[in-house]
Amino acid sequence: MSTGLDLKAEIRRFVVENAQMKGVTEVPDDMSLTDSGIVDSLGIFRLVSFLEENVGVHIGDDEIILDNFQTIADIERFVSSKLNGKGEKAASM
Amino acid sequence: MPYILQQLLTESAGRHGGRTAVWARGRTLSYRELDERSNQLAHFLRQRGIRKGDRVGLFFPKAVESVIAMFGALKAGAVYVPLDPNQPAERITYIINNCGIKGLITSADRLRLLEHSSTPSVEFTLLTHELSNGSVRPNTFAWSALANFPAENSPELQATTTDLAYILYTSGSTGRPKGVMLSHQNALTFVEWCAEMFEIGASDRVSNHAPLHFDLSVFDVYNSIKAAATLYMVPDELAVFPASLANWIEEKQITVWYSVPSALVHLVLHGNVNGDRFRNLRLILFAGEVFPQKYLKQLVELLPVVEFYNLYGPTETNVCTYYRVDRSLLRAMDRLPIGRACANTEVFAVDEHDRIAGIGEVGELYVRGPAVTPGYWGDPEKTARMCVSNRFQPNFEEKLYRTGDLVSPDENGDYYFLGRRDSQIKSRGYRIELGEIEAALLSHAGVCEAAAVAIPDEEIGNRIKAFVAPHDPGSLTAVELQRHCATRVPRYMIPELIELCEGLPKTSTGKIDRVRLAQTKSQAAD
Repeated sequence: MSTGLDLKAEIRRFVVENAQMKGVTEVPDDMSLTDSGIVDSLGIFRLVSFLEENVGVHIGDDEIILDNFQTIADIERFVSSKLNGKGEKAASM
Repeated sequence: MPYILQQLLTESAGRHGGRTAVWARGRTLSYRELDERSNQLAHFLRQRGIRKGDRVGLFFPKAVESVIAMFGALKAGAVYVPLDPNQPAERITYIINNCGIKGLITSADRLRLLEHSSTPSVEFTLLTHELSNGSVRPNTFAWSALANFPAENSPELQATTTDLAYILYTSGSTGRPKGVMLSHQNALTFVEWCAEMFEIGASDRVSNHAPLHFDLSVFDVYNSIKAAATLYMVPDELAVFPASLANWIEEKQITVWYSVPSALVHLVLHGNVNGDRFRNLRLILFAGEVFPQKYLKQLVELLPVVEFYNLYGPTETNVCTYYRVDRSLLRAMDRLPIGRACANTEVFAVDEHDRIAGIGEVGELYVRGPAVTPGYWGDPEKTARMCVSNRFQPNFEEKLYRTGDLVSPDENGDYYFLGRRDSQIKSRGYRIELGEIEAALLSHAGVCEAAAVAIPDEEIGNRIKAFVAPHDPGSLTAVELQRHCATRVPRYMIPELIELCEGLPKTSTGKIDRVRLAQTKSQAAD
């Protein structure tokens, strides 16, 4: 399982790659990914697939909400809580 | 019968002053409040020197103030210009200067975006909130300034139905956006047809999903206000989260929904949509792009009591044809027609021999009637190319709008959309000229040649890929070019993929061989 540091770095790497495609170069941890257009209606599902494939969590449609995905910090908090609290459930998916 | 748009508000406010007119981000306005605030804004604009026909820009994210600003500008006799709050400063500046915006209604953070822009036509700025401390441009006013103006009546205005009401900028093939001018009559022709067709009533709760610079919002705002219904402005970020959007539709008990199909496809795939949740929903309208049949069929199954309509029309005519989805026929259909002309509108297809196309034949769709735009702001040449004399009727001079869309009529009189005559594409319902993207790429000093192509996509219509040949091979990266594009075009026009090559393939006449590029693109997309 990823350590906290690795997890955040992984998420950041993916988000920054997407940000660059939209012409955004700097993405602070607390920057709104939706307001800045980095994550749009297609990007959100790319991000979800990335997390499912690389971090090993299963993310339900009802979890794909603003509170969990607004910023890099939110995503990390959300994914960490899934890894800690629902690790077994996620692994079985 | 109303002949200018603001009469819709005045009449509804007179009959239903206490009803809620607008909801946006938890804030609401009653009809009386909307009428009074827009009166005050109109008086303010007049005092700042706005005269009939002057342009007023609206440059801020959706809020209740958006609707006040639209009606306030109209009541002052002005033409409002909704500006995409997510566009790069360079493009906004171009639009401001192109149509000579005199008054700008904006928010502090959007104004900051224009810090380094030269906009000599702008004489004053009105902020949608209070002035903050620190440096403020001269002639900048806080929203609270409106309180000093009379609320009971709007200023004197001698207006006619052919006066311009608003200008909507769309992508332009030569690299610059073009301003489609729309009159009160253009909008009302559509609004009156909708009112009758869809029977919008005071108890309706009408969603507003489209941005205000997109013509779908004309239905939302004006039909809702005409019916004294309540307009619910969808918070922008919900467009990204289908589960949250579905919750919002359920919670707000939306009865009428209008959006591009891609928003509905996302709801089908990830919104847990079902008839029990959307008990109040009675009508879904969609427009802007082709709805993938597979998802439309699923949506229609999921919502068994909702009526569905496919609306079609370029910004230049708003909506000119419609098709009511018939559940029993839909199952066996492999494509959906764009249907037949709305009331007070006529459409026909003109074939390559300049004859009106018959059943099953292919032609370019032409539109006539009071819904058709008077043309493009400041561009009589383009106007003359697209709005042509009606050569099929010799009795008097009138204009036809050439849509550039290839269509074919069937034996029932319904038209089918087949494609474009030019390189315009749709992505998420947005109209995009590939030429504008190419111009943005070519404006980079390191780029020698560039071509943009569309990659068909089931969910959003098309994705954009570009092929770029730099002057100096190895000197450019895709990311650098995407960043450059972000300063010139809206986000939805930035190519998702950029392939750098040494040179672009050419046809025998020396033009870029787009057919060959289009063939290579599908391999690259996989």
